[in-house]
Amino acid sequence: MEISDNVKKLMEDGSEDHDDSLEKISEAFICCVCLDLLYKPVVLACGHISCFWCVHKSMSDLRESHCPICRHPYYHFPTICQMLHFLLLKMYPVTYRRREIQILEDEKELGCFSPQFNGPVCTPQSEQELNNVDSSQRSEISSLDLSNDPSCSSNGVVLFNGEQLQSGLTGQENLRTSMGGIEATNTIVDHGDKLHHRSANGACQTISVDDALCTLCNRLIYRPVVLNCGHAYCESCIVVQPNETLKCQKCQSAHPGQAPKVCLDFDNFLEEQFPVDYALRRSAFQLNPSCSQQDSATTCSSEATNDNSHLLTSSGDNPLSWWGDHKIHIGAGCDSCGMYPIIGDRYRCKDCVEEIGYDLCGDCYNTRSKLPGRFNQQHTPEHKFEIMRPNSIRNIMSRLLRGQLGDPSAAPSVSSDDVSENPANVVLSVSDDAQETAESGFATPDETEEDQSNHQ
Amino acid sequence: MVDLARVQKELQECNRDVEVSGIRVSPKADSLTNLVGTIPGPLGTPYEGGTFKIDITLPDGYPFEPPKMRFATKVWHPNISSQSGAICLDILKDQWSPALTLKTALLSVQALLSAPEPDDPQDAVVAQQYIREQNTFVNTARYWTEAFAKTSSLGVEEKVQKLVEMGFPEDIVRSTLEAVGGDENLALEKLCSA
Repeated sequence: MEISDNVKKLMEDGSEDHDDSLEKISEAFICCVCLDLLYKPVVLACGHISCFWCVHKSMSDLRESHCPICRHPYYHFPTICQMLHFLLLKMYPVTYRRREIQILEDEKELGCFSPQFNGPVCTPQSEQELNNVDSSQRSEISSLDLSNDPSCSSNGVVLFNGEQLQSGLTGQENLRTSMGGIEATNTIVDHGDKLHHRSANGACQTISVDDALCTLCNRLIYRPVVLNCGHAYCESCIVVQPNETLKCQKCQSAHPGQAPKVCLDFDNFLEEQFPVDYALRRSAFQLNPSCSQQDSATTCSSEATNDNSHLLTSSGDNPLSWWGDHKIHIGAGCDSCGMYPIIGDRYRCKDCVEEIGYDLCGDCYNTRSKLPGRFNQQHTPEHKFEIMRPNSIRNIMSRLLRGQLGDPSAAPSVSSDDVSENPANVVLSVSDDAQETAESGFATPDETEEDQSNHQ
Repeated sequence: MVDLARVQKELQECNRDVEVSGIRVSPKADSLTNLVGTIPGPLGTPYEGGTFKIDITLPDGYPFEPPKMRFATKVWHPNISSQSGAICLDILKDQWSPALTLKTALLSVQALLSAPEPDDPQDAVVAQQYIREQNTFVNTARYWTEAFAKTSSLGVEEKVQKLVEMGFPEDIVRSTLEAVGGDENLALEKLCSA
């Protein structure tokens, strides 16, 4: 608890003497929910940006969620946009660090952690630093820094600083205070001096075009769109064929729904920040408009049908007819594609120990996603899954209304494919689900009845 | 847990352009979860010239849950209870969004004053009157504004003096007046209940 106390002190110090007030934060990067600098930014399909936790807390666990700004409906919790994350980290190192400490404190209270990122380049310098961390923590870091150990996360801080120094970006007086902060955390005491010394030699503070490159064309991103997986592209680099799902060229994960809208705040920022490069990109784009032909195809199509098509095909249920749908997993989200609540089949990891658990939707389970959890769960491909029953008052009520409760044949059944694929793991108990215990009282009689009927 | 950092930012932001918007939000006491908002009655309505106080309570889930707002000043309006001050406004219920702020919510309340929705009433009596007897409605609303929403034009010193004359100690009067944003009625209420 020594560390957390120190962190708390640091936080208070930071907020009291406002050492980050020297950083003039662009309006574009103020989160509309917490009204502070975006931390671990998430870009919604409508192009609006918010913090990881702000988006997650804004989401409805019962039905589709709506963008806080434009109320555009969405079902999937997008992954953090790493490009923006590192961009903000470079531009506002002090404020971003304050935010990190503040959020980490909240996360510790919550017992649930947001994903940790290492710097894009793990430099020898930062590796060397890691070697001085005690070995237990090091092993956690080397396992892709997915640990939810708070002390490990404070090492992440050091990594960030190492990364900044390597890119020659720091050198601000402010960093001295943050270095003092690191010493205070007692994690790596003897590195404060070294970093301090280097920061004095650091030169420029600005970001370059290299920090905002399109994932596909590798040029300054022009009219940026961010896919559900968090990868950013130029609007013109996104190609959607009619009747085909949009896939990220980098990670191959499918983007649900139609092509995302341009992130205008980010676009305006880029235009201001890199006027010359941006103008070049624009003129090149205007000279060769052919590459934008897919624009009309994606933006003019009817929104209502497109938005839900992926869900219709993936689950076979219409997510909008809530009363008729018996496969909504209230309060459970897919850790791969981010669908929340999960509609259709839901698989829960039996081996993840984190309280929040690790769940996959039917589609992601079948594609055997190897992605780590959305909340830093230490999920590995070796973990076993069990299929979960949708279990909620709403489901029970909807079936009561339709007079189906006494009829086992009408109960949602596990499809035979799923069972055969993983027969040993089909467990129908739900009592261990923390999020649904409140409702289990209603559901138990019904569930046992179904269980029997399914086991016969 | 209320996001106090955000509330603090909201208060700063809101009080920065009071001159333009006329909308004020201030903490009731030390706690940032009980606040008082004031909105000027919109011009060209029976509420013109009045200053309306709104009690604001922030639920634990704020800003992911809407703030609870209630008129502390009595007001005659189809969508506001003439008894309790309860407000019937969608953004204070299911249409709330965490991107809205206390200021934008108060602006919406102000807009509601200029555009009543008699089809979705909070106060059935007022709504009936609004639909059937427009003139009576306007007169009653204007009378209520005169009677309850007009702040006295007394300066701070005069207010202090008035309250001191009622028998309260001067230092307590000053701190109370400050805590309620200079409103003598609220201060009196607070002094009496203390």
